[in-house]
Amino acid sequence: MRYAYFPGCSLHSMETAYDRSVKAVSKHLGIELWEIPDWVCCGASSAHSVGHLVGLAIPAKTLVKAEKEGLDVLAPCAACWQRMVWVNHEVNTSPKMKEKISKAIEEEIKGTSKIFSIIDGLAAVGMEKISHAVKKPLKGLKVASYYGCYYVKPPKVAHIDDPENPQLMDEMMKAIGAEAVDWPFKTECCGTSLIFQDLDTTLAMSKKVIEMAVKSGADVIVTACPVCEMNLDMRMAQINKRFKTSFHIPVVYFTELMAYAMGSTPQEIGLDKGHCGETKSLLAKIS
Amino acid sequence: MSAIVNLSQLHKDHGDFAERVFKMSGQDVRKCYQCGKCSAGCSVHIFNGMDVSPNRVMRMIQLGMEQEVLNTRSIWACVLCSTCTARCPRDIDIPRVMDALRIEAKKRGITQKFKNANVFHDVFMNSIIKYGRVYELGLFIGLKLKQSGNLFADLEMGVPALINAATRLPKFPPKVKNPDEIRKIVENCKRIEGEK
Repeated sequence: MRYAYFPGCSLHSMETAYDRSVKAVSKHLGIELWEIPDWVCCGASSAHSVGHLVGLAIPAKTLVKAEKEGLDVLAPCAACWQRMVWVNHEVNTSPKMKEKISKAIEEEIKGTSKIFSIIDGLAAVGMEKISHAVKKPLKGLKVASYYGCYYVKPPKVAHIDDPENPQLMDEMMKAIGAEAVDWPFKTECCGTSLIFQDLDTTLAMSKKVIEMAVKSGADVIVTACPVCEMNLDMRMAQINKRFKTSFHIPVVYFTELMAYAMGSTPQEIGLDKGHCGETKSLLAKIS
Repeated sequence: MSAIVNLSQLHKDHGDFAERVFKMSGQDVRKCYQCGKCSAGCSVHIFNGMDVSPNRVMRMIQLGMEQEVLNTRSIWACVLCSTCTARCPRDIDIPRVMDALRIEAKKRGITQKFKNANVFHDVFMNSIIKYGRVYELGLFIGLKLKQSGNLFADLEMGVPALINAATRLPKFPPKVKNPDEIRKIVENCKRIEGEK
């Protein structure tokens, strides 16, 4: 399997743990990633609020490079993924919009490349194959899979799984030997980039998610979105201060646990220093 | 928002507003029958990030309360999580309506209801127009200088988190071969939308 890889800005900035672990787990599973040369930002979270066309044209510029290569796209960032899914949706439902986007990017967009998130991209390999690749099963580890909103909502456009109770990430966690915690806030919103606009509201939103994962008995929260990761992990001490709570649950990318279970070292994938919250307790549990 | 609404006057002056919103967003807000499911599931609304609940935004559009709805904080506070859309029994994509209203409000220079959101979008767009990708350190500094009220709020993140974040944050802008690509697209889009 070969994908056009669109890492996005976050994975090349602070969230290298995601980039590294996505590459590692892809390697373990025999997935080849061809990084789209000179990809540009997808425009989220602002371009679509500035103009409908510009919000589609910016991600289309990168998408068209994958089309020319004849490859489907793998985009591990939820925002990048959804912006590209919207481009395909519009291109395939509105010939007029297709023409406008093509004009804006000065190239023809066809809508022929499928856009995979890292969740459905990896799940497509099959749970059996994932289990076979595991060298260190994460026995006894209770994992709360946090999908966030963009991968499953709005369901007519973004729908890798059920919008209220998705299972794909849970299944993958089971495939690597961990225990998937059944919890109710899998797709509640963390607040995304509202963190840079209205801190009070966003911290309350993220707190709600962390609190429910802890109440549900999870040892770790896994995410598949750099913004979810930043809001839950980087802001946890701030949340504790504001709400007089004492959460200290590690929040890591699900790909880190997968790569680790398949033999990568914590140093290789950023599981040691790639997060604001401590991961020592997690590493002690799974080593 | 005033407590008394003159419906006849609104209908006379802004009776076509729902139709215009339909053209802008592709969403027919007239279908909304005020069940309130959107507001019940909206985290931003639940945690007081909005001044008007999403279902009331829909109703205001139906009634032609054009000025009033463009002057809400809610249209900017929506994070497009689309929980409302997933649950709407009338199949309305509410975030697309919110986006369309933001674009319209911005066109008319109505940004004062949620200045920090507007500053965020401006600083973000400038960053990607300049570098082709987000330069996070530049973005954070720009936001701190231009937004109001949260200059020192991030110190609450605590020393270990701040040190870890600072270590991971690239100090220099991203380098791409084609930093002008987004600028060109933005200019092209302005031209194309002006052609209509």
